[in-house]
Amino acid sequence: MARIEQVEPGMTLIVRKRDWLFIIGVSIVSVVCLLALIGPYIGPYDPTLTTPRVAYPPPSLTEIPGQLIGWISGTLEYPPHWMGTDASGYDIFSRVIAAPRTDLAIALAANALSLVLGVFLGLVAGYYRNWATELMMRVSDVMQSFPVFISAMVLVALAGRSTTNIVIALAFVYVPIYIRLTRAEVLSQKSRGFVEAARALGNCELNIALRHVLPNSMTPALIQSSVTIGFAILLTAGLSFVGAGVRPPTPEWGLMISTGANQIILGEWWPSVFPGIAISLTVFGFAVLGNALERRYEEGQ
Amino acid sequence: MSLLQVRNLQVTYRSETAVSRPVDGVNFTINPREVVGLVGDAGSGKSTTALALLGLARNPGKITGGEVIFDGRDLLKLSEDQARAIRGRDIGIIVQNPRSALNPMLRVGKQIRLAYRAHNDATEAHARKQAVEMLRMVGINDPERRVEAFAHELSGGMAQRALIAMALSSKPKLLIADEPTSGLDVTIQAQFLDQMWTTVQDTGSAILLVTQELGVIANYCDRVLVLHDGRIVEDAPVREFFANPQHPYSQDVLRLFHERGGDFPAQTTAGKGFLRTEALTKHFPLRNSTKVVQAVDKVSLSIGRAEAVGLVGESGSGKTTVGRCLMRLVDVTSGKIIFDGTDIAGLSPAEMRKVRARMQIVFQDPYDSLNPRWSIADILGEPLRIHAPGDAKTHRDKAASALKLVDLDPALLDRKPRGLGASTLQRVNIARALILDPQFVVLDEPTSVLAPRARNGLVALLARLQAELGISFLFISHDLTTVRYLCQRVAVMYLGQIVEEGTVEQVFSTPMHPYSRALLLAHLFPDPTKRRVDYPVPAALQGEIPSPIDVPKGCYLASRCPHVTDACRAAPQSLQPLADGRQVRCMRVLNHEIPPDSV
Repeated sequence: MARIEQVEPGMTLIVRKRDWLFIIGVSIVSVVCLLALIGPYIGPYDPTLTTPRVAYPPPSLTEIPGQLIGWISGTLEYPPHWMGTDASGYDIFSRVIAAPRTDLAIALAANALSLVLGVFLGLVAGYYRNWATELMMRVSDVMQSFPVFISAMVLVALAGRSTTNIVIALAFVYVPIYIRLTRAEVLSQKSRGFVEAARALGNCELNIALRHVLPNSMTPALIQSSVTIGFAILLTAGLSFVGAGVRPPTPEWGLMISTGANQIILGEWWPSVFPGIAISLTVFGFAVLGNALERRYEEGQ
Repeated sequence: MSLLQVRNLQVTYRSETAVSRPVDGVNFTINPREVVGLVGDAGSGKSTTALALLGLARNPGKITGGEVIFDGRDLLKLSEDQARAIRGRDIGIIVQNPRSALNPMLRVGKQIRLAYRAHNDATEAHARKQAVEMLRMVGINDPERRVEAFAHELSGGMAQRALIAMALSSKPKLLIADEPTSGLDVTIQAQFLDQMWTTVQDTGSAILLVTQELGVIANYCDRVLVLHDGRIVEDAPVREFFANPQHPYSQDVLRLFHERGGDFPAQTTAGKGFLRTEALTKHFPLRNSTKVVQAVDKVSLSIGRAEAVGLVGESGSGKTTVGRCLMRLVDVTSGKIIFDGTDIAGLSPAEMRKVRARMQIVFQDPYDSLNPRWSIADILGEPLRIHAPGDAKTHRDKAASALKLVDLDPALLDRKPRGLGASTLQRVNIARALILDPQFVVLDEPTSVLAPRARNGLVALLARLQAELGISFLFISHDLTTVRYLCQRVAVMYLGQIVEEGTVEQVFSTPMHPYSRALLLAHLFPDPTKRRVDYPVPAALQGEIPSPIDVPKGCYLASRCPHVTDACRAAPQSLQPLADGRQVRCMRVLNHEIPPDSV
């Protein structure tokens, strides 16, 4: 085929055509990551300190322009509560944008831990198939057959309610997914020609596993990471909601929903709804990004 | 009056990032009852042209210009209904992959009946009779039973025949066959093409035979069209094409054919038995069974220094497993592998790793045998890192000179395998195998995935390397043309055993074992002056290779051999030397009961 305008092959995973889902996913994830870095410092109030205004409703749509002008020109006596305040007087907006630091940090740490552990165990299970690795697969089957939320809750309840324990509990419930994904990929990669070639060249098995099989088997797990981080955030919030997560007054979406939930019956919807929207958007963003990456990877094959 | 006239045909593919025109102004004609070959490299637009003749194009392609005048009407101007009536009835098509072209849910007979009734006003009963007739005509045994078969119950060769039966059921005036034998074994390929040719003689159809194989062209076609860069660059009668190709591309394709002439490679005598096996056996155990797959059965091979030995046989004959055993990529069940005086069959993995610097292997699939994440420099540097520690600069220099050795540009060092062509990748594979100056290299069908032109280049390279570097080669291949060109000696394998072994000249000019004879008869040598279809072919093999799990009690070939006797079925055969130095595993040949036939 002459007269064909070549496309750089390595580019396919990054930018190709206008894929709106991918763009939305990347945008949401970027905002969440940015907030995790600077969120606690940019809010109008300190997220861990109460204000004298208790259960203050958010400005109505018609009030927003006036408050905005007043805020910029500095004529207001205090900065506006864009999302209102809760029953203790915390500014909800400041807390909603400060929460990614907690949620994302826990989710990232948990995901990193389970990714490393799961990929390693998956490599071992795929590369050496014997009774020990078969046993490991059955154990991970059993682990996967419990609902993740129940497993995580039980683990935190047993180990004690600390951030470290939450991270460990989350990592534990997500490990089987990574083992399974990596093992499946290792099984298909280890019979490929370049692995056999590496053996014929005189590599030892450890070298073959680490230098040839592992790098070519990690993509599915890395793509799964995006989805897992999203769900780990949801799980972190869920644990806080039932009281097995971080302690107040740490700004955390699940905790905020939980404290606000008592007031919903009084018509105070804002303490719960805003963090709820934040969680939904975040999980949606990570899931969409994961799907888009997965599709690209499959097309790339 | 020509049957088909194609004028200035254009097919365009338009995607968001690129526009390409794989068929760009194609002109040719086909006369009634003519067999026309369409050759060209992969990606030259052969299949796209074939489809466009039916007024079809694969998404996102579109036919963007030209005329296809069939029987006086321009197919591209007909309405969809009119065109559909012609497709299948007047023009039949056979595609590449027979199994995926058959509907797995419908019985074969039903599919032929549907195709037949779509174009002929026939009752179901008549169509049923017609289906059986067609299957009989394409040489399927027991057609009354086979019409009830599903696609998965047919072998590849039989599925392909069922497709011809379907394509020819309406006696089309033109049959388009798009690489109908790719993926079939040589023996099956010859059976199939013979059958297609004979059947077409009965139905009076013309054939457009799309292929990459010169052997197929030479043996079956009357005229050759060469497609290159979306255009027909040569249109010549087959003998003229082989004798005196005009276009540079055709000359390149036929180069090996011309250079080779009739000479066999010179014999080497030095260093006999540099690498040899003694009763090498490999059994693969079956899960949940006490039976084994007998992949290699007491194979004794001997390869001298700087000698190239060919190992040939159908797929399933165990030739690849022999190569893998020699490299100790699989552990041998029993037997010895003596490499330069040492038995390496029992070496520990650590000891074996040291030996690997001196023996290497090149695999069949170039796309699969290079780590896709590594640069060419890393890939070529890997054997050096393991066996010849040195600084990065020396390794890079060595990698660059290895690339030059295989006629590649050292600028490739920083590329990754992705995006490089099969022939380039295979050269990288060869460079990697040679970078440590090994004494022995296994070449496991290194040319089988390459297009003819690239194959010629690679074979010429291998011949040059063997002459220059004095390496011993074991060349595993089913391509007898290449073996004849490259090797001094050849061993023919069947069902895990060597059935004949001798110099290439001995085996290729006067094969003795019935299997070697059949293999050579089935092989389509690219010589249009000895077309298969012009000379009657002696009795070929029946059926297909038996399963290596339940091997026959007596001679392994007994079920397929035209010379079989009861004694053959009862007694196992052994490999015995003949007076001229070759070895043959056939009692009847040794007793001079089967006269030699010349090929």
